[in-house]
Amino acid sequence: MIKVVDVHKSYTKDRETIKGVSFEVRKGQIFGLLGPNGAGKTTLMQMIATLMKPTSGQILIDGLSSDKDLLEIHRKIGFLTNEIKLDPMSTPNNLFNFFAELYDIPANELKARKEESFARFGITPFADKRFNELSTGMKQKISIAISLIHNPPVIIFDEPTNGLDILTSKQVTDYLKELKDKGHAIILSTHIFSVAEELCDDIAILVDGRIAAQGTVQELIKQAEVETFEKAFFKIYVDNHVE
Amino acid sequence: MDKIFVVFKWEIQKLFSSWRKTVALFLLPAILLMVALNIFPLLINYMSTGSINKKPVTVVGAPESFKTFVDETVNARVYTYDYMSYQEFSKIVEDKNSFHKQLKKGMLVCYFYSGDPNIEFDQEIRAYYDEISHENTEAVSRAVIYVAFDENSLTSQARAEQFKQGVLNDYQDSLIDTLGGNYAIVGSSLFETDSFNPITDFEDYRTTANTAAARVVPGVLMIMMYYCVYSLVSDMFASERDRGFMNKLIMTPVSRRKIYAGKILAINVIVTCSTIITMCLLFLSSWINRSNDAMSLLPFGMMLTPTELLIILGTIPITILLMTAMCISTVFSLNRMQDITVNLQLPLIYFLGDFFLQMFRGSRPVTLEYFLPLHNSLELMAESYLAQNKAWHVIVIYLLNIAIAFLVFRITFRKEELK
Repeated sequence: MIKVVDVHKSYTKDRETIKGVSFEVRKGQIFGLLGPNGAGKTTLMQMIATLMKPTSGQILIDGLSSDKDLLEIHRKIGFLTNEIKLDPMSTPNNLFNFFAELYDIPANELKARKEESFARFGITPFADKRFNELSTGMKQKISIAISLIHNPPVIIFDEPTNGLDILTSKQVTDYLKELKDKGHAIILSTHIFSVAEELCDDIAILVDGRIAAQGTVQELIKQAEVETFEKAFFKIYVDNHVE
Repeated sequence: MDKIFVVFKWEIQKLFSSWRKTVALFLLPAILLMVALNIFPLLINYMSTGSINKKPVTVVGAPESFKTFVDETVNARVYTYDYMSYQEFSKIVEDKNSFHKQLKKGMLVCYFYSGDPNIEFDQEIRAYYDEISHENTEAVSRAVIYVAFDENSLTSQARAEQFKQGVLNDYQDSLIDTLGGNYAIVGSSLFETDSFNPITDFEDYRTTANTAAARVVPGVLMIMMYYCVYSLVSDMFASERDRGFMNKLIMTPVSRRKIYAGKILAINVIVTCSTIITMCLLFLSSWINRSNDAMSLLPFGMMLTPTELLIILGTIPITILLMTAMCISTVFSLNRMQDITVNLQLPLIYFLGDFFLQMFRGSRPVTLEYFLPLHNSLELMAESYLAQNKAWHVIVIYLLNIAIAFLVFRITFRKEELK
């Protein structure tokens, strides 16, 4: 579903941020991207989401390349970043309707989708409240609802549980599991080891723009020859990080 | 095309969802400018006369010819008049101290004297013209107009001089027509043909008001347009990119160009409406301003013909388009929000400078100025107020500014897409 082949990215001539990254994500799989700040996770995710062009290499979404089928790819991707801040004066209702129009969702489907999505995240009572009156958790849930408005087969979530309370985090992780069971291909970046352990079928540890290790949680623990996933991460990081 | 309108509609809806934003963009700048334009002349008036309210000119023994002249002459109505007889005036003068005090406070006295207490002023003038029309070349008039003021006060002196130049000289010239009798017909070719034509009167006002407007209004509109454009570009492009919302829009199956076009259209429509509201308020400001003295920035009677109005209405959206292109190019070439804000505010200094240059310049623009983007818009609007438009100016300025705007958009968006 998602194929990343030898992708490089440089912002300046003398420094490469992503250095030849390759991996594949299948339908019904959650692929985790872990790494310290500055490792290149966000850059890599933005390139997969077509927000940035790789300097070299290829990224295919369901066999489509962003060079030729950019808008078709956009129909297949749902992208969420924790950095998004919604316009304080808009309401969830208005925002949902706006994105529905951009995604060409027919009016008869819109109502059902909105009701289902708002009910799932408990947005319904706040549907007409302005964003400046809503909590961070509620805003993040609305962001998720809007990112998935078009029911995309590929989902890219950049730290979706960052800054959320335990209850909201649980709601989000449960939802991701549900999406995985429905056959969506998901790429997830997180700093929270428990989330990665619980959700990801395959994990890549990114250090200095390279995949330092890749595999299931058990495989990574085995490879690092330690007892826990957290320890495995730190060992892999120390072994691969260049000062 | 429909997606452009979806984005356009969204941006308009967003603007109206906050009354603060709406007021800040539509009314506040216009009202502030209107207040500033009206307070500025009052301030100058205060600085030159020591008083905010214009003190009336005390006219003693005013002849009918003077009263008629005041009624019919625009420049004479700049002053208000306090008419009094010789008897009333002599009572005031009796108390010398009080009279001097009043002169020191800025009192100006205009005293008509025919040379003989038993003869009226007009009668004396009429007799004089009668004499010279009978070829008495040695005829002399004894009539005098005295102007009394405080000679120790510079402002009093200036006021007396202004009154003499602006009113009494014209009055003197008018006497030949009103009292010249046979002499006016035989000896002078001056005659009135349109004293009852109100259009001529309006034209007089328009001449004064539009000359002042050409100096003030275009600069004001440019500053106001740039203020609105930069606020909106900052909100719709820089803030949205900073908040991550722009990425969300770009990730939809709508091309970047359509998203940007929707936003640019929204900026253009909003700022055009806001500028037209400001223009209307400036017209209102002129039409409720009963004075048209030199101190007034927008004297009474500002008027535009339909062609002039159309030229200005065409200049506004084109100028806004170019300003939007400049601002978007700045936003896309910088990353940090503080840098963007500073760089977007810098051109305000340029527009302010251009405003003052226009206000105080004494020369006509040189040809090169019509090729300087944005400055040429200001010159085109100024020309419209002065009724000096030339077709090639309009065509060159419109086409040049549109072409530059689209070129800047093209380069900016191409660079953005290649990132």
